[in-house]
Amino acid sequence: MMAEGAAPPVFAEAEPGRRGSDKAVRAGSPWGRRLLTAFAVCVYIYLFLPLINIVVFTFNSPKGRYNLSWDGFTLDNWLNPFADKELTDAFGRSLQVAVVSITIALVMGSLIAIALARYRFTGSKVTEVFLVLPLTTPEIVLGASLYQLFLGRNVTLGRSTVVIAHVMFCVSFVALTVKARVRGFDWSLEDAAMDLGASPMRTFWKVTFPLILPGIMAAALLSFALSMDDYIITDFTKGEFATFPIQVNNAFRVSFPPQVNVLATIVLVVSVLLLVLSSARRRPGTV
Amino acid sequence: MTNRVSRRRFMTGTGAAVGGLVIAPGILAACGGGDSADGGSGGPDVYFDNWTLYIDKPDGKLYGKGGTLDEFQTASGKKVKYVEGYNDNNEYFAKVQPLLSTGKPIAPNVIAPTFWMAGRYITLGWAEKLPLSKVPNAKNLLTSLQKPPADPTGEYSLPWQSGMAGIAYNQKVTGRPITKVEDLWDPAFKGKIGMLTEMRDTIGLIAMAQGIDLDKPTYDKFVPAFDVLQEQVDKGQVRQFTGNDYVDDLEQGNYAACIGWSGDVVQLSRSNPDIKFVIPESGGTLWFDTMIVPKGASNVDAVGEWMNFVYDPANAARITAEVQYISPVQGVQDELRKLGGDAATLADSQLLFPDATTLANLQSWGNLDEEQEQKFDERFNEISGG
Amino acid sequence: MAADDDSKGLRTSRFAPYGLLSPGVIWLLLFFLVPVAMLLKASLSTKPSRFANPTFDWAWGNYSSAFSQYGGVFVRSFVYAGTATVLAILIGYPLAYWIATRGGRWKNLLIGLVVVPFFTSYLIRTIAWSSILADQNAVVSGLRQVFGEDFRILATPWAVIGGLTYNFMSFMILPIYVSLEKIDFRLTEAAADLGSTTWGAFRKVVLPLSLPGVFAGSLLVFIPAAGDYLNARYLGSPKTTMIGTVVQNKFLVQFDYPQAAALSIVLMVIITAMVLVYSKFLGTEGLAV
Repeated sequence: MMAEGAAPPVFAEAEPGRRGSDKAVRAGSPWGRRLLTAFAVCVYIYLFLPLINIVVFTFNSPKGRYNLSWDGFTLDNWLNPFADKELTDAFGRSLQVAVVSITIALVMGSLIAIALARYRFTGSKVTEVFLVLPLTTPEIVLGASLYQLFLGRNVTLGRSTVVIAHVMFCVSFVALTVKARVRGFDWSLEDAAMDLGASPMRTFWKVTFPLILPGIMAAALLSFALSMDDYIITDFTKGEFATFPIQVNNAFRVSFPPQVNVLATIVLVVSVLLLVLSSARRRPGTV
Repeated sequence: MTNRVSRRRFMTGTGAAVGGLVIAPGILAACGGGDSADGGSGGPDVYFDNWTLYIDKPDGKLYGKGGTLDEFQTASGKKVKYVEGYNDNNEYFAKVQPLLSTGKPIAPNVIAPTFWMAGRYITLGWAEKLPLSKVPNAKNLLTSLQKPPADPTGEYSLPWQSGMAGIAYNQKVTGRPITKVEDLWDPAFKGKIGMLTEMRDTIGLIAMAQGIDLDKPTYDKFVPAFDVLQEQVDKGQVRQFTGNDYVDDLEQGNYAACIGWSGDVVQLSRSNPDIKFVIPESGGTLWFDTMIVPKGASNVDAVGEWMNFVYDPANAARITAEVQYISPVQGVQDELRKLGGDAATLADSQLLFPDATTLANLQSWGNLDEEQEQKFDERFNEISGG
Repeated sequence: MAADDDSKGLRTSRFAPYGLLSPGVIWLLLFFLVPVAMLLKASLSTKPSRFANPTFDWAWGNYSSAFSQYGGVFVRSFVYAGTATVLAILIGYPLAYWIATRGGRWKNLLIGLVVVPFFTSYLIRTIAWSSILADQNAVVSGLRQVFGEDFRILATPWAVIGGLTYNFMSFMILPIYVSLEKIDFRLTEAAADLGSTTWGAFRKVVLPLSLPGVFAGSLLVFIPAAGDYLNARYLGSPKTTMIGTVVQNKFLVQFDYPQAAALSIVLMVIITAMVLVYSKFLGTEGLAV
């Protein structure tokens, strides 16, 4: 599975210059390097083309109901970002679902990660394979099977079922991301803390938690994107509960208002800011 | 795992405790939360789940001052919740089927299925009888819409809006007027023809072009129409099957022509005069969307009051001026003239107030029984790529 | 709280890992494994009538029709997903390589930028592509002068494949980047010193070391792409229907649960088989990164 556009395994994982590779790459002809750089620039343009389109069209004043062809410049959409009530409500619902489900998923996923990274026990191998399964199952199958479950149990589809589904696909993801993060962790630090008289609880909060925190943060950010973005699984579990992507899709039959672009742009700008801030903050000597 | 860990497992207790205790309330909180999309204080008296853009919105607001919803709430003292969640007949049915089939009510107490889908709810016994005594204004309804074939006793459904399906085209792309269904198969428009996912409109138009009548449909009779559609899809003539979003493709020029609905095109052609709507020479379909009360709904009488309110010609005209479909209510034409301005010009539109000649060129679908409908649907989905 | 228990007992307990695992694993059992079992059951059921709920009766016919009627759609889905995967490698690898080797102090930002598109909804990005590629747009119109009047991008298999490639691109770039990042590029210098050409050094040293990333990326692109239906809906035509479209339609529009369930199970089995073969050779580490 791994949601549609969802965010990817790791980016907090990458640490610059960790292996001293920065200056290492001198090999290759200057022309080869230039060609590669040019190609990379083209790929970035390709990656950002739809985003540029989305941002530009926040300033469009469409003649019809679809904000998809350019009809003239306006600032109206930015002055009324919440003009479409249904859309705004749906956006709020998406945020709510994301916050609730990643909170649950983070706790459960991190505990799994700690268990897997810190203990040797019967069944750990099986657990690892089991954790990967939801990630390697197409979303449509996850959605369809939950649909069958809820249908069979006469559960009314709605907010709760959407949250259940989102937690489900985030748990594995969090567990694996955090696990990768704590792989190199030196657990004897815990012993040291305890030898110095710290209580287990205190040891956890003072020693263990800070060390796994970056992994949890990375997982949180990416789960957030996974949840906000999810369409397919939500489609099967939503009932009458429309999240932002669902609302956009439903409304697309009759309209595609500029406010969709405005809300998408707001998310975009916030995430870029977070990214720039975090990469600025993390540069020197990160753990 | 490469890094083996210290033997000291101080976290055992913590782990179990967190596992067992901390998580449980989380799960409960997640599951316990209310299911309603947004539960206001006290339930609404009328909860209408309708198609999008199907009611007036003063200043773009559903409950805006002077709008139908606002006026009704003021006049009746009833609280209305109006949502635009009815996007597709089949999808909506699939959504509510698990509930209604097990005798559970759904949240809205009035929904807007198209006539044939209303027929399905009625046949399955999933519609409540309407409080017709509360709807004296039903006398204003067009006679053609009273007691339709899908609801022969007229006890379960009343019309919301009506409209026709015909051909919509973008003259800038076609470069010529389109007058008949065969024009859609012109090789010059290869890959630029759109069809509707609404099976009855798509197949209906094609069938009429072959001289097949819609009033007593059977699958066998319609096979030639399906074959034509299949052939055109296979040839790549047909670009896509869509709902109302054909409007966008038409506007952007992705479509040269498509099967479309009158009201959409009237709205569209205002901003883009290249977009035209015609009833093909062989005929178009006449359809209507209904209001029905799903089984087990509460506050049925309030729904009656709502229906009565919208069948008042003055209120109906306000809706028509915005949605630009055929109003089921007589007298709307005069009310539109009274409103003046843009609304007054609508009063003279053949697409809103078809005259006898236009009406003679329109056909309505007869009832399909369950078995027949399944055959139609299966073949149609096979062709449209469902 | 249990944390105040005497620490000796805690240290020797055998139940710690299970306690930690239980909430998450139980959740997955309940909402992943059990549902799949329900799906399996549904796939062997029949509906007595169209609007009734299905009953279980070992209806293997759902599976034979899954192959006979929808075999072509399966093949098409896998071909599209496969093509998208290959394209994603061709586009994503050089970028990942460039960031890993030339990114310098901007590495984090550069790799972060790869992720940024994925914070706007994938649906909205796909709709944006449909706007960019519309028939009347300048570039498409221009190409029409070259390739003839019939030329278009939207509503072709290439539009769908392009959409899949784009939408899952970051799943390719990130694992490749992570695997490249682990490489000590002094190795390539050493190879160069030993007289190897740049290309030779790349092929013999870098490429093999980054293959786990490529494999992980391939799965992460291929799996969601094979089951997708939004790209086909917004960018395709009736002739580019993918298996996801059929499953979605059968479930949520036609309520033909048994057939839809059988199709989902087939899709799942095929993909799981592929994943097992993969993890047999490469382990699951790469997926988790």
